[in-house]
Amino acid sequence: MSWTDKFSLAWHSLFGRNQASQELDREIQFHLDQQVAENLSLGMNPHEARTAALRTFGNTTALKEEARDAWGWTWLEQLFQDFQYALRQLGKTPGFTTTAVLTLALGIGANAAIFTLVHALMMRNLPVADPRTLVRLGDTSDCCVNGGAPDGADFSLFSTEVYERLKKYAPEFEQLAAMQAGFPYRPVVARRDGAQENARSIMAEFVSGNYFETFGLKAAAGRLFFDSDDVQGAPLVAVMSYAAWQRGYAGAQSVIGSTFWINTKAVTVVGIAPAGFFGDRLSTSPPDFYLPIETHTVISNAPYVHDPNVGWLYMIGRVRPGTQLGALQEKISAALKRWLKETKIFAAESDKSLSEKTHVVLTPGGAGIQDLREQYESNLQLLMGASALVLLIACANIANLLLVRGMRRRVEMSVRTALGAARSRIVRQLLTESVVLAGLGGVAGLAVAYLGARLLLRLAFAGALAIPIDPRPSLAVLGFAFVLSLLTGILFGIAPAWMASQTNPADALKSGVRGTIVGASVLQRGLVVFQAALSLVLLVGAGLFGQSLTKLQSTGLKLDSMNRYIAHINPQGAGYSPRDLEPLYRTIEQRFHELPGVSNVGICNYTPMEENNWSNSVQVQGQAYTGRSASFIKANAEYLDSVGTHVLRGRGIRMQDVSAAPTVAVVNETFVKDFFPNGENPIGRHFGAPDPPDASADYEIVGVVEDTVYTTVRWADHRMYFVPITERPHSDKEPIDQDLSLYAGALVLQTKGPVNNMEELTRKTLADINPNLALVKFQTFDQQIADRFNHDRMVAQLTSLFAVLALLLATIGLYGVTAYTVARRTSEIGIRMALGAHPTRVLGLILRGAMGQTLIGLAIGIPAAIASARFVQSQLYEIKQVNPVVMLIAILALGLASLLAGMIPATGAASTEPAQTLRAE
Amino acid sequence: MGKPSDLVQGTLDLLILRVLSLGPQHGWAIAKRIQQVSNHVLQVQQGSLYPALHRLEQKRWITSKWDQTETGRDAKFYFLTSAGKAQLEIETANWSRLSAAINLVLETE
Repeated sequence: MSWTDKFSLAWHSLFGRNQASQELDREIQFHLDQQVAENLSLGMNPHEARTAALRTFGNTTALKEEARDAWGWTWLEQLFQDFQYALRQLGKTPGFTTTAVLTLALGIGANAAIFTLVHALMMRNLPVADPRTLVRLGDTSDCCVNGGAPDGADFSLFSTEVYERLKKYAPEFEQLAAMQAGFPYRPVVARRDGAQENARSIMAEFVSGNYFETFGLKAAAGRLFFDSDDVQGAPLVAVMSYAAWQRGYAGAQSVIGSTFWINTKAVTVVGIAPAGFFGDRLSTSPPDFYLPIETHTVISNAPYVHDPNVGWLYMIGRVRPGTQLGALQEKISAALKRWLKETKIFAAESDKSLSEKTHVVLTPGGAGIQDLREQYESNLQLLMGASALVLLIACANIANLLLVRGMRRRVEMSVRTALGAARSRIVRQLLTESVVLAGLGGVAGLAVAYLGARLLLRLAFAGALAIPIDPRPSLAVLGFAFVLSLLTGILFGIAPAWMASQTNPADALKSGVRGTIVGASVLQRGLVVFQAALSLVLLVGAGLFGQSLTKLQSTGLKLDSMNRYIAHINPQGAGYSPRDLEPLYRTIEQRFHELPGVSNVGICNYTPMEENNWSNSVQVQGQAYTGRSASFIKANAEYLDSVGTHVLRGRGIRMQDVSAAPTVAVVNETFVKDFFPNGENPIGRHFGAPDPPDASADYEIVGVVEDTVYTTVRWADHRMYFVPITERPHSDKEPIDQDLSLYAGALVLQTKGPVNNMEELTRKTLADINPNLALVKFQTFDQQIADRFNHDRMVAQLTSLFAVLALLLATIGLYGVTAYTVARRTSEIGIRMALGAHPTRVLGLILRGAMGQTLIGLAIGIPAAIASARFVQSQLYEIKQVNPVVMLIAILALGLASLLAGMIPATGAASTEPAQTLRAE
Repeated sequence: MGKPSDLVQGTLDLLILRVLSLGPQHGWAIAKRIQQVSNHVLQVQQGSLYPALHRLEQKRWITSKWDQTETGRDAKFYFLTSAGKAQLEIETANWSRLSAAINLVLETE
């Protein structure tokens, strides 16, 4: 009978016990009645007949009991007995139990903490109806607002036109929704009408009219969008997120139907999205408002909503049951290829082959847009590996402890075997103990997991507006911890249990076995060697990531961040049209200079070391277009000084470089190196975009600045140019009202010394200029730079944490085995010393054993560490292999730890009093 | 409690399976049948039949069903399952081998 059969029978027998007992009574009663009837027919009197029947039947009570035994709940009963016995046994040795449970709690907790993130980022679907039928069009995290073709013509970002056409063209979709790709980079300014609240910068996402319907969502209050909300000229409406409703307005019904000023436009809130819905992606800045995409033009002054050349939308659709995704993907790709040929995207001759490659990849859409997953996936995999190693080491430790304990319990096991206990029963008993132990560890591990996950989230999302993941263990995490506990229990329990079952009763009952080489078993020492090797791998790994972080942070940014503050602003959200910007910038410069201690007021579209990049194709006048592009910064005169960029030749941007002045540019060293490779003088030369033809005359180079780091340290040889923020090149024929590049995104405020209330001062100064000029984000320049290393810092810190944990566990393991050896060899040591051995020799004897294991561990660990470095190389910065210094430090750390672990029991052994140990026998 | 020894228990199982191979029966009838067929040599304590029946049922060699007897009383009838039939063959063969071997030992001087 299979295990499950047995269980189901036992289960039914247990719960059908009353009924079965009654049936058994009836069955036996029937038997007795028949016998009585027969006896009567043989001529007995009724009393005789009854007595005789009972006699021939036997002891009814005992027989009923025996029959019940056959039903199989003895199996469950035994399990319960084993369980109780295990708890009793563990209770008897609180020291062992505490050590083991703590070790396991750390091991299981670390894994469950990482799993909390893995589950939330990689395995969980959006809280929407039937997420499995949702399909995303596209497989890249291309973002925001892009003209031209993506890498390899693999489309994920679409124009409004393509969305509209596809919606009609592909009936395979029950619903097809579109959503703004780059909303986290484009906050809006909002203020409730009539309320005494300041305008605040918040997140809002522009979505198609059928967005909520596609996800199968119902309004928490009011209504969600209709298709009629998403047409040009429709009244401006918004849906508020449930979280924002609760946070800002305590769920007040009056919010529904009320007016909010969003980017200074009056918008009616028609309803609240359902509780728990955080948008179409896990994000550190979930939207407070959802707005129809057609209103993007009015609210955000976005000129690209109906530009067929500009992709700015992601798409997620719900497919009809039975749709073949492969065929659908082919169909959509073919249609897209056809439509894009009609636009200018593939106009250039060189794009012909790219045009042929146009395609869309359909991916599962149930989890939404998985940006965050892409950011953290490789880190999490690495951390999962590291935490799994820690758990393995913990398992080895506990297996060792159990082996030692098993030796101590040999007498118990021998007695039990001698009394007739089956081997299988003993193995089962010991395995139950291990699993109970692991279960206790798992429960304690959940507490560790919760704290660990909180720490992890704080590290991973330092400086984020909102942490999108709940650190409390979800059902999946509970299940994970449970299965992990069960597996670890079996893993570390199986060897000790098997060894204990091999005891020969006679052997162990003989007392006082005096041996000379009865030390720890090969298995025990093997486990210690294994631990040492794994710890070395983790130590080296931690060293590599630490080294990588140091290298990243010590990269010469060539920026000056001291006494600099970065204030992100949103003049478009404050209602400024591009025409009004020049006077605004002059006012900002003037007002901030009036603050005491302010020495420079930089104004720019984005600042160094933030997640942003604007770039253009570049053609130098008189040269052929080489397909190269350069990043550009639009800045005012004080900007270069405010971030500490040094001018090497020529001049920087001046106050006079205003909209009416000739268009000039300052370029960086890499720009010069790449575009003027033969040492030509760049000053006075012109460059611009390759298209239209006269654009290469747009900017005159007036100066060269030092290379500084923008976006990320990892971006080396970054071609850049700086242009005055309000100047527009001649070739730009776009109406000025649509020129979003004129809007500043940040102020860089340099002060003569630290100013404590700079944020308040900035907020107030901006509000004085215009109450709608809300502060989007405020940080010191140092903070902003530090935030760019969050990822690397998190990985470095966590790998160090795991390495220290591993080293600690390995040290305890080595200590345990050495101490055990010493205990076993006490009498031998006593004899040696009685015969005249010097204490130092005894010390050496024990230490040699301990260090020997470490050395073997090193012999295995060193090549393993070198080999595993290759797996993490892609996550390291400019580190190709294990640095000898890192290796040396790891070896020294492990060596010192094992010396310590060996020294304590060894000194104990060396101070043995010979007479005493011999007497103790 | 006077549990039958392994030999007796195995034998009882074999006898029960054999009786049921002739058709479904309730407990009392099985006991009677064993007594009659063995010419009252095998004096099975009637009650010990029931633990054996329940054990065989747990092993899925037999199964049971409540039904009416000829006299219209409710009784629990036992049936042989296909697994039980196979088991009966195995045990019959084992028994034959064993008894032949024992005979052999007893007959040789």
